[in-house]
Amino acid sequence: MAEDKNQEPLLTKPRPGQEFDIAVLPLQNTTLFPDTVVPLAVGRERSSKAVEAALSTEEKLLACFTIRTPDVTGSDAKPSDIYEIGSIVNIKRMMRNEGIMQLVVQGVERVKVVDWLQGEPFIKAKVQILPDLRMVDLENCEALKRNIHTMIQEALAMLPSVPPEVRMAVLSQNDPVQLSYFLASVLDLGAETEQRMLEAGTTDDLLSLTHGALARELEIMQIRSKIATEAQTEMDKAQREYILRQQLKAIQKELGEDETGEKAEAQQLRERLETTDLPEDVRKEAERELRRMEQLPQAAPDYHVIRTYLEYVLDLPWNRSSEEKLDLTEAQKILDEDHYGLDDVKKRILEALAVVKLRPDSKSPIILFVGPPGVGKTSLGRSIARSLGREFDRIALGGVRDEAELRGHRRTYIGAMPGRIIQMLRRVGKNNPVMMLDEIDKLGNDYRGDPASALLEILDPAQNHTFRDHYLDLPFDLSKVFFIATANQLGPIPMPLRDRMEIINIAGYSDQEKLHIARQYLIPRQTTENGLKPEHLEVTDGAVNLLTSRYTREAGVRQLERSIGNLARKVALKVAEGDDSKVTVTEKEVKAFLGSPRFHPEEARDELPPGVATGMAWTAMGGDILFIEATLLPGSQGLTLTGQLGEVMKESAMAARSYLWSHGKEFGIDPELINKNGIHLHVPAGAIPKDGPSAGVTMASAMASLLSGKKVRSDTAMTGEITLSGLVFPVGGIKEKVLAAHRAGVKRIILPDRNEADIEEIPEDVRKELEIIPARYISDVLKAALEVNVTSVNPDSYGAPGTKKGRRKGSGATTGATAV
Amino acid sequence: MAKTVNRYFQFLSSNRDIKPSGRLWYPAADVYEAPDGWLVKVELAGVSAEDVEMEIDGRCLSISGTRKDRTCDPGVSYHQMEITYSRFEKTLTFPEMIEGASIEHNFDNGLLIIRLKTASRGGQ
Repeated sequence: MAEDKNQEPLLTKPRPGQEFDIAVLPLQNTTLFPDTVVPLAVGRERSSKAVEAALSTEEKLLACFTIRTPDVTGSDAKPSDIYEIGSIVNIKRMMRNEGIMQLVVQGVERVKVVDWLQGEPFIKAKVQILPDLRMVDLENCEALKRNIHTMIQEALAMLPSVPPEVRMAVLSQNDPVQLSYFLASVLDLGAETEQRMLEAGTTDDLLSLTHGALARELEIMQIRSKIATEAQTEMDKAQREYILRQQLKAIQKELGEDETGEKAEAQQLRERLETTDLPEDVRKEAERELRRMEQLPQAAPDYHVIRTYLEYVLDLPWNRSSEEKLDLTEAQKILDEDHYGLDDVKKRILEALAVVKLRPDSKSPIILFVGPPGVGKTSLGRSIARSLGREFDRIALGGVRDEAELRGHRRTYIGAMPGRIIQMLRRVGKNNPVMMLDEIDKLGNDYRGDPASALLEILDPAQNHTFRDHYLDLPFDLSKVFFIATANQLGPIPMPLRDRMEIINIAGYSDQEKLHIARQYLIPRQTTENGLKPEHLEVTDGAVNLLTSRYTREAGVRQLERSIGNLARKVALKVAEGDDSKVTVTEKEVKAFLGSPRFHPEEARDELPPGVATGMAWTAMGGDILFIEATLLPGSQGLTLTGQLGEVMKESAMAARSYLWSHGKEFGIDPELINKNGIHLHVPAGAIPKDGPSAGVTMASAMASLLSGKKVRSDTAMTGEITLSGLVFPVGGIKEKVLAAHRAGVKRIILPDRNEADIEEIPEDVRKELEIIPARYISDVLKAALEVNVTSVNPDSYGAPGTKKGRRKGSGATTGATAV
Repeated sequence: MAKTVNRYFQFLSSNRDIKPSGRLWYPAADVYEAPDGWLVKVELAGVSAEDVEMEIDGRCLSISGTRKDRTCDPGVSYHQMEITYSRFEKTLTFPEMIEGASIEHNFDNGLLIIRLKTASRGGQ
């Protein structure tokens, strides 16, 4: 500028106190110090003008002052916003770049504003060069300087990227002022601190400011480095864990373990949940549990509990049924194929199936098969399932004494499981199977609960459409299940339970039926099961009859089958040894193979002494005959009863004695005999407990025989309850009793006439061989049972063997016999 | 901060003739030993002769002055500037006393040529 040219050149010899006019560049956030070289970018119009003005001078000088409040950004700073102490700088380089001037400037001297000359188009001021810094306390300055050097070394140790020559340059700088200015320009100390350093008038002040700033900066660096180290450690840890997890995954995959992880597991369950056909409330509950599971870590114990539960829920056949294919003719065929005889039972079953066919949505009847072991109850259930085309499964209830077995444990218990009903449904995978509750009469119960009570709900068609297992805790519809129960005896089954079921008695088979069963089923089955061909083994009817009568004593055919199996194995041994010839098993071979007969047909004794009568008993094994023996006890009084008799049986013995005492004359009995003698009544076998009223007529006959001296016919067996007025009441188990008596060789049977209906249940072949005598009064019984001849009423002669008689003789008294 | 420091030093190293502590720029100089004394050549393009001062003190020769930009007539403005216009100082140290030597200097193609004739070499 023209006026500048008149002035003395500035820098040739700058001196403190010199004043001159100069263009001013206000700086934001930056302070320029003498001797430091700094790049600047200038964009504002007013600043550009100031720079242009400086460039047009010969010495390229510019004054730089820092703006007090750095946030004056929108508008140009006024002189009052600017610190009054700054530096003059020499512009060393300048480049224009898209409207921005890029400068490299070097600080020259500290200056103070003396007067603001103009604000537009650029700020111009009269400035005065400030004096050099004085050193007040030399030792203090030296100490501060050394400290600063130490800190610089520490700082450089943390900055490995600073090149060595730069380190040398910094550390070799001995001028405390220049060192301070250099540090201030390098470090980011903030405009305020930097300005204070620039304004410092003594070296002491400047050094102590530098020392403070550097110390703070060093502290920050150390903290930052610590944070960085920690972050690094943290990251290393995460990295390490990630790598280990990847390896674990690889190992699991290699081992064929679930590589999909918990997320996938939950995902799989969710997919199954979406595709499975579930009732709405079940789906809701399952979704709730699934959500809970997704929030749990895999290691949580609850995770597996919920997973098992969900799998159970999804496995259950909520809406899956077997297709019904019910053809009654086919059903009849299947039943006939699988079982011989049992016509009445089959009829009842077909009736039940007919209802199912006509009203598929009706409550299925619950059938209870009652009968001795081995008569085919279980296999009947199987045949029903086959004829219905449904799944079949059986639950053995024998010995089940805990309600939880049927209904499950609540899920809160460790190792909780659903009950057997639900387990079975899952196994068969259909919601309408034929479910056999085997041995329902052998349910136990104790303090843990009564399983029979749980069965009440399960078997009640009105309740079981919302059967709630404790484990599932969801209602399952059991009403489509076809329940069949089996039992050996009705007695132990609680009334309410019995009430819910349709009872079908399967009494057992006659010898004739057993022969058929053996021929049609048992012999062919045992032949194949023992690896024989039909041409290897033939069993004659005589041999089968021998087996049934002398080697087995049962209502069913289980022992018979075992005996046949025994025979078959003997033959198999022979065949295996190379002898391929056919073996025909006759009575002789049976004895040779199986040894002497185990049972002797002595039940029906050839002749009975007076005072002994044949009775018929019902047992869980079917029926049996028993002998009631009576004897006089001269000089004694009253009635002695032995043979483990129950209360009811004892009372009926008393009733028999009382009746004979009062009505004795009608039968040729001297009442004095009873008056003077005691009577002992014994019922062998002594070790077996007996009870029930049905031996009434037998005891009366035994006593009447004893007192009258007339023998009881040895071919006659009897059953029936008596009253004091001489009536004969009906009793149960007629079929079993009659079959047993027939097996024992009895020819005549005396039954209460009101049991006439039961006679029809007796297989025809048995009926044909028996003379069945209905009795209404005790007198009818005695007439039929006692022989006409009086042997002796003298007690002394008791025990003398009677004369042998033809069994059919003297049956004249049985005019009313109905041998149908 | 490391970055700042580095940038600063990179910037400095591109101007190797400027020490971090230097207020000035230092022109490059060659020194020749001549039969009658010394020949010094200093790179001082664009510096007027009247703006240069020389001083001898013992074995040292100091050359100082200012390079001034005299191109700035009204209406002319810079587009780019790379030449440093400021005060300079150069001190050269010789292996022998040069006190009392006679000095001749002239500018030749932007180079300042200084001839020192010392008595010991028979120049004076």
